[in-house]
Amino acid sequence: MNLPTAQSRTASSDTVEVNLSVNGSSVSMSLPARVTLSDALRDHLGLTGTHVGCEHGICGMCTVLVDGEAARACLLFAVQLDGAEVTTVEGLGRQDDLHPLQESFGRHHALQCGFCTPGFLMSSYDLLSHEPEITREDLPSELSGVLCRCTGYRNIIDAVDDVAENFRGGLPAPGNCGSRTLVGRTPAGSTGTASTDTTEDVDPTHGQGHPERINLPTGEPTIAIDLTSALTSSPADVARVMGDVRLLARCLPGAELTDVLGDDWYLGRAQVALGPVRLSFQGMAHVLEQSPERIAINAQGKDTGGGSAQARIVMVAEPSASGTSLHAEASVYLTGRIAGFGRSLAGDVSRRMFEDFARAIDQAAAGVEPDAAAAPPSGFTLLAAAVGGRIRARYQRVRVAARRRFGRSGGD
Amino acid sequence: MKAAPFAYVRPGTVEDTVVELELEGAKVLAGGQSLVPVLAMRLGRPSSLVDLSAVPELTKLSRDNGSLRVGAMVRQRQVQYDDLARAVPLLGLALPWVGHREIRSRGTVCGSIAHADPSAELPAIASCLGATMTLRSTRGSRQVSAGDFFTGAMSTVIEPDELLTEVSFPVASPDEGFGFGEFARRHGDFALAGVAVRVRTTGETVTANITCFGVADRPASADVSTHLRAALDVTGPEPDEADLRRALAAGPAEEIAAAVVDTVGDAHASPGYRRQLVAGLLSRQLSRAFVKSRRRESGVR
Repeated sequence: MNLPTAQSRTASSDTVEVNLSVNGSSVSMSLPARVTLSDALRDHLGLTGTHVGCEHGICGMCTVLVDGEAARACLLFAVQLDGAEVTTVEGLGRQDDLHPLQESFGRHHALQCGFCTPGFLMSSYDLLSHEPEITREDLPSELSGVLCRCTGYRNIIDAVDDVAENFRGGLPAPGNCGSRTLVGRTPAGSTGTASTDTTEDVDPTHGQGHPERINLPTGEPTIAIDLTSALTSSPADVARVMGDVRLLARCLPGAELTDVLGDDWYLGRAQVALGPVRLSFQGMAHVLEQSPERIAINAQGKDTGGGSAQARIVMVAEPSASGTSLHAEASVYLTGRIAGFGRSLAGDVSRRMFEDFARAIDQAAAGVEPDAAAAPPSGFTLLAAAVGGRIRARYQRVRVAARRRFGRSGGD
Repeated sequence: MKAAPFAYVRPGTVEDTVVELELEGAKVLAGGQSLVPVLAMRLGRPSSLVDLSAVPELTKLSRDNGSLRVGAMVRQRQVQYDDLARAVPLLGLALPWVGHREIRSRGTVCGSIAHADPSAELPAIASCLGATMTLRSTRGSRQVSAGDFFTGAMSTVIEPDELLTEVSFPVASPDEGFGFGEFARRHGDFALAGVAVRVRTTGETVTANITCFGVADRPASADVSTHLRAALDVTGPEPDEADLRRALAAGPAEEIAAAVVDTVGDAHASPGYRRQLVAGLLSRQLSRAFVKSRRRESGVR
């Protein structure tokens, strides 16, 4: 554990810079001193897995690991943690590769509403990683730092005891900590900003131009898509679409192109609606390779509600017996609240989205203007946002002009 | 439940820290496990917080000249597991009762003592052992013994511009035995009542002193040697633990409880109930400590 560096006096109206590691990623934030770690994680980094209950150190919902030991995030000001390593429940495991504790909580029905679960997971991780010989009879008092109002605790004790029994020799480390890039958000009313070096300069709301490249996180993507669609159009017709970014973009649903930066860089945004879920993305894409039969894109987007996504998409068209075979591969990395959304839904949704995309390409290849609006927007339209349609950009210009003409009434 | 705005400074040395504390309304932030809830509920609105976490000198835990010296930024959990701290067994007995592990990972020993909650464990330990507090300011340094340190509920002799840099606990001698017990409605809650006990057996001479907490506006200490000897008169000089406990419970423990419990009571426990708790806890812990001290004194461990 490193001591923080000294920090000169900062007025209550000013912000303090804090550098820390969150789930393996370096994070730099500038925050008012009174912002707690729990609020910094949730509101500034979009890591809403850390729940906030009482906000004064009683309920244990906000328990996270600080330098490997459980601590209540509501009882720490983020600025105190300069140089610290923080692990949240997001870092503990992945949807497709749960930590043994998460798996055990599920198997033993150790949660009902789930609100206390992140706190219990982090508290029990701390307990078992430091006291692997813990006995069942000591579990109730050792886990008493977190409250649960659903389970009556018995199933939680069962779940933790099970893991303790099976990992006396050592508990596996958190399985989802890596150099994943976190993208902060600055919602209206937010009192600080968060950024990392890889995202600061690609934030489409700041300045002009584009960065040298979009850096994708290392490690396993949140979602991996590998889909082959059979198109009826001929390879030559499909190649025409593949070679025309703007036409290709019009095949993507729910998006609008906001700027063409040149050098194969694009800015855009997209609204996503899935049942009660409403997401709004701003994004940027870089076309890395483009030939009649192959296109590779790196994209990065930010949900205004506090999440981020990065992706690499490669699409390859090949001749087939019935026309063209279109192969799409995508690696998508999600962070923040959309990560929770993404892990539970995005697999299916994104597959359907790519199917729709392929169908629209088939249409476009046949000379029919793709009707992007008809396709259901998905969690991945941030990618669409980046290479979004020219039509929408044009539409927007018309709308802006109309607004200028008719004043500000009406809104949109 | 958000703290009101405050100015923030994180000095790198004790010298810089005490300069910052000269500012009107400045408050020390160590582990923050007692202070931050106060700020969150806006029960307190200090104009500035002076964070100690960047001062290397304050993170030191050391043993010298018969004392365990605990710096202002030494976390409770570190003391709980550090071999050095075994020299002060009462700390090891009490620390598992301090909040929860999630609290102890950040909370400091000195912070709890400076906060001086009358229901807290560590001020009672400091009182029972006669620990020495070192206070620093730009005016100089002074040492205050635990008996003079606590002046009321959450009140100590620390001046606003002073910093509690270190608490020094006397290392146990081989002829001493210790006991600690508390009763709380839930593990980790502040105790309704609790006791810390030190017994020394040197040959035929038995001395005992106790500190109770949760029963007055500050740790309540007493020399109970005569009470313990009275019980030993009943049981004989080498009782087993259970016999001594019964002898204490039959009278001496209640006498002590009546003397130390000084509270009007609250919604959770009346003064009478607290006296009963203290008498029960004292009977157990005095007999335990006595048996331990006698074993230690005779070389049996």
